[in-house]
Amino acid sequence: MAVTFDKLITPSKTDTYKTEVPHTNIGIGIGVLALVIAMVVAVIAIVAANDVGVDGGNTAQLLAIAFGLNTLAIVTSKFAIAVILVGILVRLWLRIESVKVSLAVLQPDDHGAGVAVGDVGTDFGDATVTKSVPESLPIHKMARTMWFPMVVMGPMLVIAGVVTSIVWSNNVGTSTGVAASGWTQGLQFLGEGMMLAGISFLLGSILSSLREGGAQVQESLGITVTTLKMPATAKAFVGLMAAGLMISVIQFGLYLYTLTFDTFAEIAPWWAWLGPFRELGLALLLAGIVLALATIANVLGFQFSRIRSIVSTGE
Amino acid sequence: MTTLTINDFDTETTAKAPDRNTPQKVGRALWGPMFVMALMGFAGGIGIAIYRANLISTGGDPLDIAALGQYGPAAMFFGFAAVFAAISFAIAKILGELRVGGGSVQQAAGSDIKTLKMPGMVKAFMGGMAMAMMIILAAVVLHVVAGVNIADGGVSPETIEQWSIWLEAARRFGVVLYLVAIMLGLGSIVQVLQYQGFRIRQVAKLL
Repeated sequence: MAVTFDKLITPSKTDTYKTEVPHTNIGIGIGVLALVIAMVVAVIAIVAANDVGVDGGNTAQLLAIAFGLNTLAIVTSKFAIAVILVGILVRLWLRIESVKVSLAVLQPDDHGAGVAVGDVGTDFGDATVTKSVPESLPIHKMARTMWFPMVVMGPMLVIAGVVTSIVWSNNVGTSTGVAASGWTQGLQFLGEGMMLAGISFLLGSILSSLREGGAQVQESLGITVTTLKMPATAKAFVGLMAAGLMISVIQFGLYLYTLTFDTFAEIAPWWAWLGPFRELGLALLLAGIVLALATIANVLGFQFSRIRSIVSTGE
Repeated sequence: MTTLTINDFDTETTAKAPDRNTPQKVGRALWGPMFVMALMGFAGGIGIAIYRANLISTGGDPLDIAALGQYGPAAMFFGFAAVFAAISFAIAKILGELRVGGGSVQQAAGSDIKTLKMPGMVKAFMGGMAMAMMIILAAVVLHVVAGVNIADGGVSPETIEQWSIWLEAARRFGVVLYLVAIMLGLGSIVQVLQYQGFRIRQVAKLL
């Protein structure tokens, strides 16, 4: 199964460095769709706010629909980001191929075998020197396997939440409406959490490709392979992502648990903190994404320093 | 399938490797502080939510509960504005590494140094980010203003509900706009990676 997903994030046999990958245009199209949905939601909200000033008869129904659609707009924009990240991965492998063939020409003929095998310090953090391409890290294997299920399941749950938001809208003020409200909030924020986890796994796959591709280039040039050890930002990224995903699952369970209560008076205090709690799950996932991007920047800096060194000294 | 040539890229030639441009310098300097501010906002938001939930369950003052209903989202979305800014700055940091690193490799190879001019997508990324940031921060400030007015009394429940609906709509639209801007920032990385794939082959005389 992971092999099938790998095909999506690696170039096809016909792709070359000249090929323009379609992901950017597809991503922009999906992003525009997200903005259109968000604008529709804004109009519904304005109508709902005006309705409060008139008689408030339709406010709750409008807000229920607006909630469902708004989360759909957010997950659509995140899906657009995921499509672009897939494009980055495909482009990254094509660039690795370009670097490999170009460095074979640019590398001075008279060169040694490279730095001695073992641990070394670099300007970008501690690194390991090996004779050949090191094995993939378990977290990288996991990222390459998990990104696709997460990116698919996340939007599916959010769309299911749009359906329950329609049920909520049609049953405001009844026990069915309360139950549909709980399902909508729980389902949609679980979906949002999974979508962000999918994006995190794609970023993990980018880090994996940088590591593996960089190592392949060095090995192909007949020199020892220097690879950065996992930096603290990458470790914190994994921790934040796990915590955020866990909160997203827990909040879903707690929303369902509150639906077993007899009265809305019992439910109200729970929902008062579950709202921000579910947002905290997304917040931690986003914080992890910041650290993943910072790690990618650091790895790129390291790889450019390696390329410079190979061009200047041959190793 | 569309293919490109190196002439499809708009570049500038310099004698030595270019430094980061101003947005990239800002990104490099500010992603960390924004990350810390985001964590502070989230901690404040969840703290206020727990306190408010306690007031609801113990029958606290309805005015306090309503005011905290404004302060909580203000803190939480201050955190979101900061975390989205941190993501945007981290993307600028990546673009800075690509610019400086690409230039330095060309310099090491002894060739003239050609760097991609700022693509339109990057400009749209920065514009979208600025607009989204302003929308979310305006909603945060207005939530606080609303909270203060509610705590002072004299505001009808209808008015409170209207404010809440307007501000929620604004901040949620801001989030979608921010995410679309971030997507454009990532799209510009695809462009830069493609150019670098061409350029290194050109430097090695493989084009």
